Amino acid sequence: MSTKHSKAAARFLSNEEGSQWHNQSIWYVRDKRDTLSKGLPEWEELRNLSSDIKRHTVTHLDQYLEKFALQAEANGVIVHWAKDAGEHNQIVYDILQQHQAKKLVKSKSMLTEECHLNDFLISKGIDVVETDLGERILQLMNIKPSHIVMPAIHIKREEVGKLFEEKLHTEKGNSDPTYLTKAARIHLRNEFMSADAGMTGANFGVAASGDIVVCTNEGNADMSTSMPKLHIVSMGIEKVIPDYASLSVFLRLLARSATGQPTTTYTSHFRKARPGGEMHIILVDNGRSDILGDELHWETLKCLRCGACMNTCPVYRRSGGYSYTYFIPGPIGINLGMLRSPQEYSDNVSACSLCCSCDNVCPAKINLSEQIYRWRQSFDTIGKADKMKKAMSYGMSIIFNNPGLYRTALKFAPIINKLPHGLIYNGLNAWGQGRELPSFAKHSFEELWKKGQVK
Amino acid sequence: MNSKDAILANIKKNIRHTYDKPEINIPGIHYPDVIQQFIDISETVGGKVEKLAQDDDVNDLIKRCYPDAKKIASSLPEITIATTNPNTVKQAQDLNDTEVTVVRGEWGVAENGCIWIPQAAKEKAAYFICEYLVILLSSKRIVHNMHEAYQKIQFNDYGFGTFISGPSKTADIEQALVMGAQSARGVTIILTDE
Amino acid sequence: MRIGLFIPCYVNSLFPEVGVAAYKLLKHLDVDVDYPLNQTCCGQPMANAGFENKAIPLAKKFEEMFKGYDYVVAPSASCAAFVKLNYPRLLEGKHFCQTSDKMMDICEFLHDVLKVRTLPGIFPHKVSLHNSCHGVRELNLSSASELNIPTYSKIKDLLSLVEGITVMEPDHVDECCGFGGMFSIEEPEVSVRMGTDKINNHLATGAEYITGPDSSCLMHMQGIARRTGKPIKFIHVVEILAAGL
Repeated sequence: MSTKHSKAAARFLSNEEGSQWHNQSIWYVRDKRDTLSKGLPEWEELRNLSSDIKRHTVTHLDQYLEKFALQAEANGVIVHWAKDAGEHNQIVYDILQQHQAKKLVKSKSMLTEECHLNDFLISKGIDVVETDLGERILQLMNIKPSHIVMPAIHIKREEVGKLFEEKLHTEKGNSDPTYLTKAARIHLRNEFMSADAGMTGANFGVAASGDIVVCTNEGNADMSTSMPKLHIVSMGIEKVIPDYASLSVFLRLLARSATGQPTTTYTSHFRKARPGGEMHIILVDNGRSDILGDELHWETLKCLRCGACMNTCPVYRRSGGYSYTYFIPGPIGINLGMLRSPQEYSDNVSACSLCCSCDNVCPAKINLSEQIYRWRQSFDTIGKADKMKKAMSYGMSIIFNNPGLYRTALKFAPIINKLPHGLIYNGLNAWGQGRELPSFAKHSFEELWKKGQVK
Repeated sequence: MNSKDAILANIKKNIRHTYDKPEINIPGIHYPDVIQQFIDISETVGGKVEKLAQDDDVNDLIKRCYPDAKKIASSLPEITIATTNPNTVKQAQDLNDTEVTVVRGEWGVAENGCIWIPQAAKEKAAYFICEYLVILLSSKRIVHNMHEAYQKIQFNDYGFGTFISGPSKTADIEQALVMGAQSARGVTIILTDE
Repeated sequence: MRIGLFIPCYVNSLFPEVGVAAYKLLKHLDVDVDYPLNQTCCGQPMANAGFENKAIPLAKKFEEMFKGYDYVVAPSASCAAFVKLNYPRLLEGKHFCQTSDKMMDICEFLHDVLKVRTLPGIFPHKVSLHNSCHGVRELNLSSASELNIPTYSKIKDLLSLVEGITVMEPDHVDECCGFGGMFSIEEPEVSVRMGTDKINNHLATGAEYITGPDSSCLMHMQGIARRTGKPIKFIHVVEILAAGL
């Protein structure tokens, strides 16, 4: 039995040094999160509040979205509504067309990744420039992010050095991160200067004031929106929150959970267009309103997209983002992928030992592991049950429902202990790939009990 | 049905049961010495803190911090060493060679070194395009945490505002921390008594 | 107080000595403990694989078997957690579930119900404590490292009652060992890497034994240790607590 994830993970792990580095680097972020979270006595109270605020907001989503849109429009911002990815992409393109915008600078947005916006715009002749350093590196390499917050975590400095030699004409053989970052700064500065439009995502949309809040460490969202006069915001509808009091709760949790920092360098509030400029917000549904109706999985709408779950996930750390078939990896990605398409993304559900660590780090207290367990239960119904797992489960069921049969099986099981090595350990024995089999006891506990040997 | 109505209708249709809004009156962490905590955290996140002495002039202090700076942007009337005014530049791009921008911060936050800077000039590019950012902040306007900060600013009217904590940074290349990604590579906070 | 002893399928067949130690310890503590015959399995292996409906008949049998007892005690944190957390849902509408409230892992039982304060045994060895995931995060046997809560460990408290023992804990104190039931064979490479990393963390404490409340974790790590020739021994917590009996 294997899945796309397990096969890809095996390939990932075959690079022993690389996979160890990946595991350690990401664990380090979990560790920093722990240090900061334990420095706030009110941490667990904040998590409870965060979960409660999100549950309230999401179950009153229509009211908050209407309020948010009304406020934003009163501030002179143009609000659009997109049912799906296609509509979102078309709205973005239409806005750019209206302004004859040819170059678009973007700060990081997983939503635009979800909508495949870049490919669409590029096919229409728009020059799209990612300005987050990690995203820009990936864009120049023409590959996808492997983590939602640290997208290029899997790329080594030498690879970046070689890339910049080719694309940015940096010094040959220089892979010093400071040197390379400075080269990127100059390169991206030119892009900011000549951009016609700037696009950001939204970490939060505050209903009470109509503010869009964008958090970055680089300042690239601010640079993207300070030169070009046109600002387009892509915002998932679940990102709306009630007010500033709620915002303070989320902000205190966000960076600590995501990167182990007390805050991102920049927490910017965009309320009105720049003087002489224009600001658009596109509210995107793309399946979110349907998720609301899913009794078992609606709480994924609470997600702040912080990445803490994947940082703690022992499986993600040892398999990397590319082992997952959905663009978001880790515990939240497994769940969101299944919500997007159970048929297409079921391979990721194997990527979980049900350790429940993710539940404990999630700043919104999403029951991630329980939801993964529940997806597993749905597999037989959707035709995705692995034949071998099914056969084993049915087989176990037969034996366990029949104590007499079970006893007989146990009587003969110790024979396995004595079988020739080659017979047991071969390609069919997945356990035996990296482990010795346990030995069956000569006498089971029940046998010992019956013999009066348990006293 | 247009998309807005379709989305709202689908939301209404799918909400099964609702949850009440929780009361948010969490005081949050408080520090025995809020100013010292602010200074410590500001330095941890890569900023520098200077205290403006009673008899010192802020322009002299800035010149001492950045002796080589020739292009200084500020819309604050008290910054006489400014060579450019973000209020009067023709376009944002004209600020590109700014070495130092001087702004006033409204509130400082001790838990994370954030300083609230509402846009106070025509071109906010000044806050991000410079090599070094100087933020003037009254030590009397430092609060303990973000709950308090948001209470202070929530009724302000502004088109743009930002919390800035330390210099622009990235660790995107092999998790190696580098200051000065796209914006200020250094930040100096000048704490004043008033 | 009448206790029903539940011996999980893999303890029965692979590690009966754990069951023997559990029984001996409870008898030593004057507990009225009984072992109903014809036990098989709680259903967790099938459920975690995605076939929890296969666990329903087993849950019904379990309810019937342990009807008359005040507590059901098992030397297995993951089985106790499975019954406690899932049986009410699995039996909803079919059977009133009473075993969920009565189900306890033996360490929980010794610590919270019997409030054991002394033990007769001697175990003059250095051990590294393996904090199994379901024990930590579902049964609260110790404070989960992710949470900002006061630190505690029921198992450490119990082990400290045994004379001569030195209890260590590994770095990444409650990171998963990688067993996860069918996960171990559906994602064997990741599972073995997780187990290898975990063993290395345990070895770094200098311990002679790895001990924990879950034989499934121990079995997985033991398999890897044997394959890679790592010189470390494995023992269930209850065997240490029953030392000398």
